[in-house]
Parts: sequence; structure tokens; C-alpha cells
Amino acid sequence: MENSIRMNIQRMTNLIFQSLLLFLSTAMPAFAAVGCDLNDPDRDVARLFPDSSGYRTFYASIDKRGGEPLLRKVEKRLGDKFHGIYETIDVPYTVYEVYSGKKKVGYIHGVNQKGQFGGIQVFVALDLEGQIKSFYIQKMTSQWANKLRDPKFGRQFMGLTLKDIEKYDPVTGKGPGRVADLKNPAPEAETDFRAALRALKKNLVLMDEFVFSAKGGNP
Amino acid sequence: MISKNQIAFKNLFRKKARTLLTLVGIMLSSWVLVSLLGFNRGYENALNHDIENMGYQLMVMAKGCPYEAATMMLQGGTGLRYIEQSMADSIMKEPEVAKVTPILMQAFFDPNKGTSGGIAGYFGVDPATFPAMKPFFRFRQGGWFRDPSAAEAVMGYEAAELEQREVGDMILVPEKNVQLKVVGIMERTGSQDDGTIFVPLKTLQKISGIDKITTIGIKVNKDADTAELENKLYKLQDVQVVSFSQVKQTIMKLISTARVMVLSIAVIAIIIAMVGVINTILMSVLERMQEIGILKTMGAMPWDIFRLVWTETLILCACGGIAGIGLAVTFARATDVLVRRILPYAPSGGLVAIDARLALLTLAIIVTVGLLSGLYPAWKAGRVRPLESIRREG
Repeated sequence: MENSIRMNIQRMTNLIFQSLLLFLSTAMPAFAAVGCDLNDPDRDVARLFPDSSGYRTFYASIDKRGGEPLLRKVEKRLGDKFHGIYETIDVPYTVYEVYSGKKKVGYIHGVNQKGQFGGIQVFVALDLEGQIKSFYIQKMTSQWANKLRDPKFGRQFMGLTLKDIEKYDPVTGKGPGRVADLKNPAPEAETDFRAALRALKKNLVLMDEFVFSAKGGNP
Repeated sequence: MISKNQIAFKNLFRKKARTLLTLVGIMLSSWVLVSLLGFNRGYENALNHDIENMGYQLMVMAKGCPYEAATMMLQGGTGLRYIEQSMADSIMKEPEVAKVTPILMQAFFDPNKGTSGGIAGYFGVDPATFPAMKPFFRFRQGGWFRDPSAAEAVMGYEAAELEQREVGDMILVPEKNVQLKVVGIMERTGSQDDGTIFVPLKTLQKISGIDKITTIGIKVNKDADTAELENKLYKLQDVQVVSFSQVKQTIMKLISTARVMVLSIAVIAIIIAMVGVINTILMSVLERMQEIGILKTMGAMPWDIFRLVWTETLILCACGGIAGIGLAVTFARATDVLVRRILPYAPSGGLVAIDARLALLTLAIIVTVGLLSGLYPAWKAGRVRPLESIRREG
């Protein structure tokens, strides 16, 4: 009986101690990097997937999914280093899983990208095979932003997959195949055009790492 | 030899479900109480921090301007009212005033934010006077403008993060298509400055084609009579004065109503928990009459029995109190988020501040009230007559 009392006291002490530890870990200032979310998810998901009935979000970061080795892998696949003080290993990426009834019909995912005059937010709507259904620049600061945000520009990306953009080099801005056919509607904004393509490649590489190459296709 | 404390523990473990339910009751009331006390302190601290971070205690602006400033953020800079910049110099002459700084707020519509566009806000500040008002600003990169009319910008941390800007990058003022060079990015301050883009006052005046200002920030001398200064400022034509001490008082008044309501709930929760304690201990005493009688026949004095029963109360209240405090501390952030959703205005920073002193105070309250609740059952147990109790239960 004495032992059982001691064990109960021990258990209670452990519980309190663990709670305090949990508090300390959650109470630290969480000044993590900023992610990229849809401004109005309800409206935007319905617009990008007109046949959808709902969505679910999950968050993934390179840091939590594989750390430094994954960062190296993503950089290698991207063909460029992550740079700047905001493109970091701990950026939380929001992935929207889109449903029609109970059936999953696709994903929406956005990334931040440094543009010439400000941050660019590039979203893609993908089907379950990773094919682009829709390309959408949510935010861009540029005199020519209206041309790059025009749905006509976005339509060029429909049907593309990671395979089509895999060989695109974000450093030189050159790539073979379908990427070479992509037209920049604002030649004056070449920097932002290239930034949008880099963001697209980063977006698709990350989606492949977080979702499509994930075990059993389950993120 | 088994001690009194161990016997008390053993007794509590006899009726696990009943003990657990009583513990849960105490835990919940302790959780509510410590969270409320923590909120009292945290909210005021956060509000003070926000006000101190403003750098000035008084603001003078054109009549109707605060409302327009709010709509400016929603609809753009149309219809803003302005005041002459010379007013800042005349205010500076008042003996109560330590520093003044003229500010011009402007907002431009950016059609390329989201699907229906958004507003980009800019703060035109005087490089000679504004930095002195905010000595606590720390730069992550770069520093303040080098020239009072330079085409430069200093960005708050969150603004820079959203725009992915670093020192040396360019930003573009929407509508006007004016390019500005980023010369400084601040560390986080936890205030609204984090989302602000600062531009030299003259530059913003030139961009927007306005030679006036929207606001004058006033720092009052340490021992000066702020109320007296406010009265003087009210006499100026077509301006209104916003005093942050008044703002604080108004907010605290609004919050106090909610505080009283929550405090009442906490008191009710404590009363319910303590009724639970009385019930548990009293039931336990009534069920053990025979045992208590035997203890007495073996030489236990009323005081020994009283202490034994009181120890059970103490254990219950201490464990429940500690668990409640632990939960309050663990879920302080969640409480913070919840409170922010409910309150019409919540300052930046933690709203629920629970420290060791507060935790100990709560524990003391819970244990004291608990021990008072345990008085009757303990007294009743101490008064048990051995033979009567043995005969009754036998």
C-alpha cells in the first residue's frame, strides 16, 4: 500500500512537472518565419476549384519534414539556394486539401517569393496527380503587376507538372520544353516574371516533397 | 511506521472516482481563478507596453481624424483632414512639452493585393524628431534615413517580412509608382510599428502632393501637468487631443465590466468546488465512523482525528490547486487567443501573465478556502464517540 501511495505521488509530481515543461516550450516567443495563406480561403478555394464542397488545411515545413538534408535536396531540385532572411528552413507552408463531398479532388499551395518591389505570393491549384489546374498570383507589387496577374497569363500554366518545369534554371531564367514557350506579358518586368517562375518551381518541388512523394501519397 | 499523511492519502484513494471528481472541481476553479488574476495583470501590462511604445503621451490631430484614419485603412486616403505643420512648432513652445514630432499618414490603393485590391499605409516621419521619440527601436538591418527628403523607407519587421525586403531593396508606392530604397529594417517591437513603412515626412508630402500633416505626437516633461497641457491644446482651433492615459482608462473601464463578470464566475466555481470538498470529506468521515471509533479506543485524541481529516482536505485542495495552476499555465496561450477573440480591443503581447507569485497566491486562496470547508467534517470526526460509533456500524 505504501508503495502504491508513493507511486501515485510520483505520478502526480511527474504530471505537474511535464505540464510545466510543456508550458515553457509553448511560452517561448514564436517569431517563426511567415507562411503564405490564401487571403480568403472560403472564397478562393471555391474560385480555384468550382466543384469543391470544402477544404482542410495542414502545415508543413522543411525543418519538421526533414531538416537540413531536405533543405539541401529541395535546393538541388530547385537549382538555386534559398536566400534572403525570409526564405528559411522553418517557413510554415499551408497546404489546402480540397474536397468534393468526401472525395479529395486536389490541393492548393502558395509560396512567398522575393520580387523586384515587394513580396510575390504564387498559388497553384493542383489535381491529385500534381497537374496544375490553376495558377494565381495573389499579391505582387509592380507597375506591371496587372499583366502578370491577368488570368490570361495564368492560363499558360494549366496542365503543367513538376516534370515540365524540372529543368528550368531559376538562376539563368532558362528552361527547355513547355517552360520555354511561356510568354512574359510584360518584358519590362523580367525580374518579376522570373521570380514568378522560380516561385512556381519551388511550389511544385515542395508539394512533391510534402505530398506527392510522401509515403503512400499521404502527407 | 505509516505516517498521518500516508493514511490521509490512503483514505482518499479508497474512493477514487469521488476523489477525482472533487479534484476536478477544485482544479477547474483554481484554473479560472489564476487565469483571471493573470489576465488582470497581463492585460494592463500589455496595454502599458503598447502605450509606452507609442513614444508619446499625447496626440493632436484634425477634428474627426481618428475616425478618418480608421476608414483610411479600409478605404484609402480619401477625405483625410490635415493640420498645418507650423502647429508643431507652437506646441513645442509650451513649458510642459518635452518633444514633438509631426506625422503624416497616407494610404494608397494597391489593386494587386488579393482579388479586390488592398491598402498600403505609409507613415511620413521627421528624421530629426521621430527617432528620439522611439529610443527603444532596434534595427535588424540598416538604420534611419540619411536625408530628410531622401527617397528612402524604413520598414517594420512584419512589413519587411511580408514584402520580402532587405536593406538595399526597392519598394514601390502604389498609385504613385514612386520607388523608395529600403535603408532600415527594424527588429520586432510587438506593436503596430511592426507592420508600418516609415518614409521621411518631406518625401511622403512630395509623393502625396500635400504640405500638411495629419498628427502631432507630443512627449510631455516628466513632472509636467498633462491635464493642464491637454486643456491648453483643446483651445487650439479644429484639432482634437488624444491622451493615451485617457485611452487607457477608457479601455480599462470597458474591460472591468467583463472582469467583474468573470470574477463572479470564478467565485461561484470556488463555492461549488468547496461544497464538493465538504461533501467528499463528510461522506468519507461518515463512512469511516467505525474506523474512527477504533482509532479513538486505541488512544487517538480528537485533535489527532481532526488533523487526519484536515490533512485529507489539504491534500485534495493542494493537488487540485496545483493541477489547476498547471493547466492555466499550460493553456495560457490558448486562453490568450480566446480572450483576443472575445475582446473588442486587445493590446499586443501576452494578455495572461501568470508568474510564480500569482500561482502561489492562487494556491494559498484555494488551500485556505478548502481548509475552511474542511473544518466542519474534521470537527465532526474529532467529536465521534468511540463506543457509539462502533456499536452503530457494527
